[in-house]
Amino acid sequence: MEVYTDYQCPSCRNFYENTLRALINDYVASGKVYLIHHDFPLPMHKYGYQAARWANAAARVGDFASVEAALYDNQDAWGSTGDIGKYVSAAMPASDFKRVEKLMEGCEGPATASNDPYGVPHLLSVAQVSRVCALDAYINEDRALGSRIPVQATPTYVITYKGQRLPAVASFVSWPILKQFFDSLLAQ
Amino acid sequence: METLNLALTWVAMHGYWFVLAGIVAVLCVRNPEKRRPVVRVLLTVGAIIVGSIFLAAAYGKMKPLPGFAWSWPSVRTSLALFAMQVESYQILSPTAANKLAHFLPFFELFLGLWLVSSILRRWSALLASLVLCGFMIAIGYAYYHGLKIDCGCGIGPAEEAGPGALLRDGVRFLLPAVVVTLGSFWVRRTPDVAPAPQDATDAAQLESLR
Repeated sequence: MEVYTDYQCPSCRNFYENTLRALINDYVASGKVYLIHHDFPLPMHKYGYQAARWANAAARVGDFASVEAALYDNQDAWGSTGDIGKYVSAAMPASDFKRVEKLMEGCEGPATASNDPYGVPHLLSVAQVSRVCALDAYINEDRALGSRIPVQATPTYVITYKGQRLPAVASFVSWPILKQFFDSLLAQ
Repeated sequence: METLNLALTWVAMHGYWFVLAGIVAVLCVRNPEKRRPVVRVLLTVGAIIVGSIFLAAAYGKMKPLPGFAWSWPSVRTSLALFAMQVESYQILSPTAANKLAHFLPFFELFLGLWLVSSILRRWSALLASLVLCGFMIAIGYAYYHGLKIDCGCGIGPAEEAGPGALLRDGVRFLLPAVVVTLGSFWVRRTPDVAPAPQDATDAAQLESLR
């Protein structure tokens, strides 16, 4: 199951807290479902892209799960102030946070424009390259993947079973209903 | 099975043209004696069209997902997927949405067969009209709340709920159902018109028989 979300999206928070958490703790943990997270920050969310950068940096040091939870749990707080680092630091050991901060160097500015699907800008000057946030490549790759579906709202999820990709769904689904669907698929 | 589904879907998607033509045809028949049998024939065909809508909808909800063969487990998977669509309207609780999703396709199958049989047609058509009204209210509710969802009707390709879907579904599905309903009740209420006597001799003979 691939999920496209925006950390500043209230529907995504609802989806994470009421569905994905249970899915991860139960079916992902037991190996029944392989969950792939894709970032799809929306333009109307001021800090959504920055939150995605923090989450990607946390993933590089192996703390993605705790940071993802912290971002959604404190969405209202950092969504109004933009102070995302405060909640990321509280979600991991100090040593890991230092590594995350290192990865976040150069990532204070606006999103890097992507001129190709992998977010690598072409024909930049040396000065421009030095200001590019390395994490943006991963976010822009996710957005390019989402654009091909196309993702028009978040959360959007796509389920693939035995090579058959089902149509993308852009709405909330509760865990009992989703679990029932997975159970019926796995029973075949 | 797929050929039958294609035929039902085609009738469901395009049958409203026949209904519209039928309305025009009835209005063109000015003689009340001749109008009634014309209406009866058109109502029978109209009921088949409306029945096809429900049969196609039931099939669309129950048919196996791509890559799966027909079996009870694959039907259950399709119904579980339909439950996700019903829940996406965010009108019902998950439990209620799940129950509706597992009941509705079988109900549509029953209603479709009932309509096609033309037994107690005015009641089956009335029920069909009410069900379709409820469906369109659900689409309107979803659109009003800004939900981007698949309309979930199961007929033809998936389309997003919105004013376009409301208008299309209203013309394609609700209009034929309402016409058949009203026509069936009209036929029931309107007494058969007795043939007028050909001349005074016939009138006298009729009087003598009384």
